[in-house]
Amino acid sequence: MKKHIFDRNPFGVSLVLVSLLVVCGGSPANAADSLTVYSGRAERLIKPVLDSFQQKTGISIRMLTSGSTELLNRLQAEGERTPADVFITNEAGTLERARELHLLRPVNMKEVERAIPSPFRAPDNSWVGLSGRIWVVVYNTSLVNPDNLNSLLDVANPSWKGKLAIPTAGNEYLQAGVSVIRAAKGEEAAETFLRGIKENSGNFVFGKNRQIVDAVAKGKVALGIVNHYYIFRHLEKHPQAPIALLLTDQGPDGMGTIMNAAGIGVTAHTTHLAEAKRLIQFLVSQAGQKMFAELNKEYPLHSAVQTDPSLPPRKSFRVAEVPLARLSELREPTMTLIERVGLR
Amino acid sequence: MNSQTVMQSPGTKKFPHSQFQGESSPLLHLRHVTCAYHSQHPAVRDISLSVNQGEILCLLGPSGCGKTTTLRAIAGFEKVMIGEIYINGRLVSSPTVHWPPDKRRVGMVFQDYALFPHLCVADNIGFGLNQWEDSQRKSQIHKMIELVGLADLERRYPHELSGGQQQRVALARALAPNPVMLLMDEPFSNLDPDMTIKMRKELYHLLRQTKTTSILVTHDHDEAFAMADQVAVLHEGNLVQCDTPETIYHVPSCPFVAEFVGQADFIPGNIQNGKVETELGAFTNQGGYEGGANVLVMVRPDDLQITKVGAGNARIESRQFRGSENLYAIRLASGRLVHCSASSTEIYDVDAPVGLTIIATHTVLFEHQS
Amino acid sequence: MTVLARQAVLSPLAIFSFGISGLIVLPLLYVVYSAMKADFAIWQRLWSTRIPELFLNTVSLAFGVGIATLTLGVSLAWFITRYEFWGRGFWEWAFVLPLAIPSYVLAYVYTFLLDTGGPLEQAWQVVMGPEAPFFSPYSFIGALMVMTLNTFPYVYLLAKTALQNFNVTFEEAAQATGASQWATIFRVFLPLIRPALVAGLFLVTLYVVSDFGAVSLLRFQTFTYAVYQQITGRYDYAAASILSLLLVSFALIFLLGERWFRRQSRYYQMTGKVRPPTLMPCSVSRSALMTGYCVVVFGMAFALPTYWLVQWTSEAWAENEIGTEFLTYIWNSMVLSGGAATLALVLGTPLAYLACRHPTRLNTLCIQGAYTGYVLPGPVAALALLILFSSIPFLYGTALVLVLAYLIHFLPAGLQSMESAIQQVNPNLEEAAKSLGARSYQAFQRVTLPLVRGGFLVAWILMFLQCMKELPATLLLRPVGFDTLAVRIWLEASEELYQLAAPPALLIVLMTIPVVMLLTRKNWQVG
Repeated sequence: MKKHIFDRNPFGVSLVLVSLLVVCGGSPANAADSLTVYSGRAERLIKPVLDSFQQKTGISIRMLTSGSTELLNRLQAEGERTPADVFITNEAGTLERARELHLLRPVNMKEVERAIPSPFRAPDNSWVGLSGRIWVVVYNTSLVNPDNLNSLLDVANPSWKGKLAIPTAGNEYLQAGVSVIRAAKGEEAAETFLRGIKENSGNFVFGKNRQIVDAVAKGKVALGIVNHYYIFRHLEKHPQAPIALLLTDQGPDGMGTIMNAAGIGVTAHTTHLAEAKRLIQFLVSQAGQKMFAELNKEYPLHSAVQTDPSLPPRKSFRVAEVPLARLSELREPTMTLIERVGLR
Repeated sequence: MNSQTVMQSPGTKKFPHSQFQGESSPLLHLRHVTCAYHSQHPAVRDISLSVNQGEILCLLGPSGCGKTTTLRAIAGFEKVMIGEIYINGRLVSSPTVHWPPDKRRVGMVFQDYALFPHLCVADNIGFGLNQWEDSQRKSQIHKMIELVGLADLERRYPHELSGGQQQRVALARALAPNPVMLLMDEPFSNLDPDMTIKMRKELYHLLRQTKTTSILVTHDHDEAFAMADQVAVLHEGNLVQCDTPETIYHVPSCPFVAEFVGQADFIPGNIQNGKVETELGAFTNQGGYEGGANVLVMVRPDDLQITKVGAGNARIESRQFRGSENLYAIRLASGRLVHCSASSTEIYDVDAPVGLTIIATHTVLFEHQS
Repeated sequence: MTVLARQAVLSPLAIFSFGISGLIVLPLLYVVYSAMKADFAIWQRLWSTRIPELFLNTVSLAFGVGIATLTLGVSLAWFITRYEFWGRGFWEWAFVLPLAIPSYVLAYVYTFLLDTGGPLEQAWQVVMGPEAPFFSPYSFIGALMVMTLNTFPYVYLLAKTALQNFNVTFEEAAQATGASQWATIFRVFLPLIRPALVAGLFLVTLYVVSDFGAVSLLRFQTFTYAVYQQITGRYDYAAASILSLLLVSFALIFLLGERWFRRQSRYYQMTGKVRPPTLMPCSVSRSALMTGYCVVVFGMAFALPTYWLVQWTSEAWAENEIGTEFLTYIWNSMVLSGGAATLALVLGTPLAYLACRHPTRLNTLCIQGAYTGYVLPGPVAALALLILFSSIPFLYGTALVLVLAYLIHFLPAGLQSMESAIQQVNPNLEEAAKSLGARSYQAFQRVTLPLVRGGFLVAWILMFLQCMKELPATLLLRPVGFDTLAVRIWLEASEELYQLAAPPALLIVLMTIPVVMLLTRKNWQVG
């Protein structure tokens, strides 16, 4: 009789399930020879590199992929209890912000100083850039004569009204780009630029860079502002598409092309410093740099590593001289400016 | 009429429970029990009664009178606010003591039987026996099934049984753990009338045969009279009379009881020369009222006889055929209506003037307040 | 009596359920508290920047979806209950199926379908000319369309029930007094089924107001999305709390409205003997018209999205992109949802039991406390737990926090079935068991539990599925390396990796279909 009662009892099952859950989900990440990575970079752009690292070193990787800022918030909320050992983002401003919040620790490694130029590192090496991406103009080759465009700021000219596609105000590269313009050209120029592109873009405001490139390729608009690799992604699929990349601001008084970097930092409270250093060492090595950049057609920051041949050679253009480390301090006023202009 | 006011007749002055006080301990004893859902409106008030081993007590009353509450208090489903309940001489309920139902060893048959729908007949009956040894349990279940005549149905489920069968299962289930007494809440109310009479007989024999002390709640006085050794009549939460069925019928303690247990009319009268003078004639003054006092005489239909047909100052107002008898409503000269039963072979026309004779062997008087 | 009352109140079970209820209410109280104590300047800033836009967007979306679902739901229900046309029997149950598609899955399919150069735009331009303007999914119209296609079955089901129980005698009585057909519709028919429609409307708006997945993929700024953005985009929990408070108040209004109107509609429908409408035969052209309408709606709400999910899944399969990690995601989802649903069932049982059997003031308060989870949209629950538990080392960053978030959010849905299951068990049965010597817990275990098993199973399945689909709290609270199916759908869909997002989405849809079908038979209130 008793037995048959317990057969019908769901409570026992629940205990098993809940304890299972604790075992599965709650197991701490402190096993030796493992690294926990918080990654703001899309999984498919980073996992192959990490897999190859794991294969080479035997250090297993546990990864949490999410938005860069969300992960920053998470690091901050977790404080010293964070399971994260390293923090990887696609945008250097977030890394710099993490450094300011004392969430990262400086690493002194010869390999880093040798491989990565200093504008692409934190002053104290709390974070290290790994690959560069440029914010450029994409144009429809049958609609636009590139000679008429010398500066990125020119796309704000009234002549491009209704012919420009831009990203939404939430786009991190738009924010970083505006910060660079503010630093290089001043507040007023930045505001004029924002008002101009707002006016010119009309309804062509897209949440995704891919859509901007699509719109340009289809001739719905003549120009767009995007991260460079979206152009090459599109060309890979549609080699005949009438689109091209335009490098602007290369003249003697031009500010240079706006470049942002993906990077990595070691968390302040890591318990796996040695393993984290090995990962950085791997990522700044020539092999690591090549793999990391090529996955997304980005520019490797190691000067000795070959750039993907389909991209404009790194030496062919000048980059704006605003250190990435400044992006963080520039961010808040930039956001306010964007909000004030009323970009969507 | 003034019978709305419930009055204690002088004839039944003593409290019903008093006759049991002092006797060697009754099986169940309630002392001044008050139960309440809201303390301002007690559901039952100051109930005292006793039941001896082997007796059948009926709690009788209209709906809402508190009879079910009393039963549930005995079973332990309701707590008492004032007073005590003793079972087998042990205090089980008081404002500070409350034995839970599962400790009282009281069997209960619910109005809707409350058979466990997920268990078959045998498992229902064996429900209270899970502490018993396997072989004992089996033989007890078998015994119970035999007792209530459900052989061959032990693997059926409640929904596959008729109403009467369900009731037998409920009874067997309640009796199986050998309870010290059996409580039944309107056990026949869910049966159709034919079945009710049959089951009532069966139950009566079964309870007598097993000498089961029982308390039965009902609103049907026929049922109470047919089953009970004692009938306790409740009205608006009060125990108004507790006596044998005969006493309840013939010597009701108040007009309420009188009317509740059968047809009764109340004729005003006046005590003169040691007799009660009414418009129907003189009655004996059994209540010992003083001369000149105004009283009410209870008249049951069988206390009257139609005599002078075609002449007399009363007039037949209507006739109701009741099978073995006819019940006549008769308008007296004063305009008062009384009822009189007569054999169904004697038929009097409506509107016929008649005369009435009193054939009562005893008189029940109540104080008349005008 | 007072002594006794106190004894009854302080039974261990009551204390336990009070504790659970407190645990569930705590996050809500904490969000309200942090919103209240937030700097007035933050209120002002939000008031002058975000709130008007969010308010306008949320209200107009809710309103628009309300109108659209009403139109779709009532017209479909009308055709299906009144006319005999081709495939009527099929359509009658088919329009429940869209409930099986989580809003974010529908949204992600439509970001593809409606994209510039996407299949729908191409089809549109074939019909309307090559330059015909088409709308973007990332717009009010896009959000409106996706939310409408996702929620109209609620209105449809309510309207269908109301129409099937509608007493045709009323209509005939009106016509007998000389009212025209249109007058009958407006003066008799609509007023009589109005309560059901209003109830459906409130349900849909409640759903729209608290939806996160669709609006975030379509980047349409509503309160829910804004709360999530405040948590993820800036480290600004104060602002997030303020927006949450507004959102919760919103949801509360719609929830209470829905409850109130549902009581009304129950009252209306209980009118004696009902002669249900008979089906009218219709001509071939009419039949074709109605079938065409059904095909379009069903296609857009279910068939087309499912087709693409199957298509992408097979592509992913062919390209060998469904690896062993996929099994891990399934396992994670199952364990997490199973654990949460089971825990909710166990913890909810005393709450539901006490509320049904001993509806004292305290016990009623407890269950109502537990029901507040209804008005706590996912991001808000996550926010509260983030704030509350980030300082508890053993909880934070474990799956348990996630289970807790699910519990808070989805216990109400389960409680509803649990309560009705217990209510259906005659309390006399427990008393009978006690009179036969069973103690309270034995009576529950031996009698009540076996009898409520069906209802509890339904509750469990309901909560399990809700947990499987849950997105915002999972995104914010998941432990490292613990991705679930829902998270994968969202991550891949945000990257526009349609093939990779499809297998988990298809799996969730396929798991939900039988449950939706099953639950709609008894109780249409799913999702």
